Amino acid sequence: MPAKPIHLGPMYFKKRGDAVEYLKKMLHRYDVGDRVNSDDAVILQAALEHHPDSAAKIGCGITDFSVRSADYGTKCFWVNRPDGTTEKFSITGSIHGK
Amino acid sequence: MSLIDLQSWLLQEGIREDLDKIIRLTVRNELDNLAPDISAPSTEPIDWPKLILAGSILARSEKRTDQDAALRIATAAVTLKDDQALTDAGIVLMGKLSNFRAITLATERSLVATNLHGRLGVSLHLEAQRRDIDHAILVQSSGAWLPVNDFQQRFWANAVGASWLSASAPTASGKTFLVLQWLIDQVIAGESRVVVYLAPTRALVSEIETSLKRLLGNSELIDVTSLPFPVNYRTARAGGARIIYIFTQERLHLLANVLDDEFSVDLLIVDEAHKIGDNQRGVILQDAVERITRANPELKAVFISPATENPEELLTDAPIGVQTVAVNSDSSTVLQNLLVAAQLPRKSKLWELTLRQQDSELPIGTLQLASKPVGLKKRLAFIAAAVGERGGTLVYTNGAGEAEEVADLISQLLPELESIDPELSQLAELARKGVHQDFRLAPLVELGVAFHYGNMPSLLRLEIERLFRLGKIRFLVCTSTLIEGVNLSCRTIVVRGPRKGKGHPMEPHDFWNLAGRAGRWGDEFQGNIICIDPEDTQAWPEGIPNRARHHIKRESDAVLELGDSMENYLSKRGKSDLSNMKDKDKFEQVGAYLLTTFMRLGSISAASLAKRHDAASIAKLDQTLGSLADKIEIDVDLASRHPGVNAIGLQRLLEAFRTYSGDVENLLPANVSSNDSYDRFITIMGRINEHLFPAFTPQGRIRLYALIVVKWLKGYSLAKIIRDSIDWHQEVGRSFKLPELIRDTMELVEQIARFRAPKYLSAYMNVLHFYLHEIGRKELIEDDLDIGTQLEFGVSSTTLLSLMELGISRMSAVTLYENIARDDLSRKECIEWIAERVNQFQAMNIPAIIIREVRENLSLFD
Repeated sequence: MPAKPIHLGPMYFKKRGDAVEYLKKMLHRYDVGDRVNSDDAVILQAALEHHPDSAAKIGCGITDFSVRSADYGTKCFWVNRPDGTTEKFSITGSIHGK
Repeated sequence: MSLIDLQSWLLQEGIREDLDKIIRLTVRNELDNLAPDISAPSTEPIDWPKLILAGSILARSEKRTDQDAALRIATAAVTLKDDQALTDAGIVLMGKLSNFRAITLATERSLVATNLHGRLGVSLHLEAQRRDIDHAILVQSSGAWLPVNDFQQRFWANAVGASWLSASAPTASGKTFLVLQWLIDQVIAGESRVVVYLAPTRALVSEIETSLKRLLGNSELIDVTSLPFPVNYRTARAGGARIIYIFTQERLHLLANVLDDEFSVDLLIVDEAHKIGDNQRGVILQDAVERITRANPELKAVFISPATENPEELLTDAPIGVQTVAVNSDSSTVLQNLLVAAQLPRKSKLWELTLRQQDSELPIGTLQLASKPVGLKKRLAFIAAAVGERGGTLVYTNGAGEAEEVADLISQLLPELESIDPELSQLAELARKGVHQDFRLAPLVELGVAFHYGNMPSLLRLEIERLFRLGKIRFLVCTSTLIEGVNLSCRTIVVRGPRKGKGHPMEPHDFWNLAGRAGRWGDEFQGNIICIDPEDTQAWPEGIPNRARHHIKRESDAVLELGDSMENYLSKRGKSDLSNMKDKDKFEQVGAYLLTTFMRLGSISAASLAKRHDAASIAKLDQTLGSLADKIEIDVDLASRHPGVNAIGLQRLLEAFRTYSGDVENLLPANVSSNDSYDRFITIMGRINEHLFPAFTPQGRIRLYALIVVKWLKGYSLAKIIRDSIDWHQEVGRSFKLPELIRDTMELVEQIARFRAPKYLSAYMNVLHFYLHEIGRKELIEDDLDIGTQLEFGVSSTTLLSLMELGISRMSAVTLYENIARDDLSRKECIEWIAERVNQFQAMNIPAIIIREVRENLSLFD
């Protein structure tokens, strides 16, 4: 199966796996409770827009992103919305659509 | 024969036989469920005139045993026989012992016929009058004469002027009562505008606050508060209402940090001052006293401690030129009967009671139990229920869980009451609504039984203590919180193998601090201490301790006396990984104190403590401290704001901030209303563990700690935090035991949210602010209430803060806050909100005790 390239904002990845790798590295630069900086947020927003459930995940809009704890002591990205609600999303889910 | 020889002969021979007879009779009167006395009656009748004469000779002695014998004779004369002349003689003897409260008690119980003075001869009458005048003090502020005992009189006489005073006397000597009277007098009639009363536990803080407020009534001249807010301070300094702050040592630093250079105290009182020797918090107390003294070297200071042998030790750090005086008393005001209970061979329901005296034992009788006490808890519970059936009975247990179980067992042995006293019902209501519907305390208090431990919310604990004093709660099962500084006395204490904290056998002075609570001066003539299984070496590894007084030694001095250990610790502290450090509990706090002192003075040889240790070891320590201080850029003022937090740790944290590569805004805690708040606290606690001090361990519990901190700051009630925890356990299918879950939650709130988190998070914030200044990002510093204060009181909204500033407990404040829509109400607006609705509080399902507290504090009466 040929590699599927992907654009995330200003970033271009030849393979989706590279995008996942990039986002995982990004995630690990943050501690839980951190607000994601604006440069990273542009890429994350693009990733989330790529998510198969993007409409539901984005909901009423995106204020910014955070890194918070997820199940079993792991961490993941969360989208913060203007109405104060928040939801986590997975990197692989956004990129590979699973 | 000299007087001393005569006194000693009287006790050993002269009246020994008759004295033993009356001891046996008076003690038997105190105990319930004794088998009928079958010992052969003595043929010789008691020679009362001889006893009374001996009593008046012994009363002139200063020896405790002589005074005790005189008081025993007086008490026996008043209580044993229905003979007016004998009772009168007993009363006169009590007068000679200046035991005026015992006389009042005899009068209240109609044991003595009226017009005693008329029956005394002229010379006795004159003598009694002279004694009354001699043993009374004038309270300047009210113009009233107060009858006092010898100790109280010496305290009052020596407390005048500017000198530093250290007073020590056994429990039930009327210390606290007198000091509070004196304090009020100083503030109303004297020059003191700002007073700090240091009480080393939160339990004692709330108790003293309540007592002072009751004594003062609705005085507009004096404010009393336990909140470290500067508004009262500034009002007092500006000539408005004077202020008495009641603080733990930690809370004192919170106020001093806010006021900074403004901070100056006129009068300092340190209660339970022997706790300057406590592991970990002793040095914080010492630091607090020194900080107050540095701010105002003209300060007047008074130290109070129970039964210590060297109260003068506390005065050694008084500023040069200040006069010092120690007032020490060892005389008892109430008879204390130390009894041991041992099971009769093969008869588990029968227990032999024996009185232990200085150097002899006296059989008292056999206690009959209703059921066979299988197991140690039952033994404790059944003996307590039997021997102390008439109430005023305190049972000591070695932990909160055990206290609950023993209380439960006792309650099952008591007859059901025909009706429940309304105050007990209200306490049960508070336990159900304020903690949990099924909190064990509720059904127990309805039967007149309660348990009591340190992590309970103060409103609940104070009400338990009040109803126990009133006799409505007849049995109170307690833990070591009681010896950690709660002024509560009882008629009878029942104890088996007491431990202090987790597992350490009680030292003699601690045991006697506990035992000293048996005997309510003015309410009872005698107090009883029942020790179960005296020969069991597991229960009593060193046997039942002999009477002992506390030897005061500062924690800092005790640690320095361990030779090179302190220096070794500091050397390692400068280098190694914190998680591997052994002994950090023993050395960290004192190490922090020494380093800060060094940074301030340039050498600890210039500090007061140097005079208590040899010059060579001080010089060696100086060298180690010097090499550490060289690497520290944190200034001494910052380090002084956080006693017990090591400047090395503060420096490490600063370095960690400097190498942090992320966005600096992520270093700040997120507002509790933000979704990031919980996770941000997890990261910050991890950072504190890594760089500052491993305060939040084990690491695996950080999430739980962060969760508690967020809920506490959000102003959640204890009941809600408990409910949430139950819901979580049910959702994830984890099993739990309700009593344990309740106790664990209370412990998390008290130990993490209110103790560790404020201490280390406020240090974290201070270093962060230092760093933000350094990188020119001071716009990120918000001028909010300090995080330490927010955590200690569990408030983050203006409304909740305003409610607590009105003087009501957090439990009450949070309950009201659940009904208040706005989160930005000022104190005045809160009063208006309350005044408008106070009559509907009951309908709003607010517990009666909370309504009462709110009404009392706001003077809103029905």
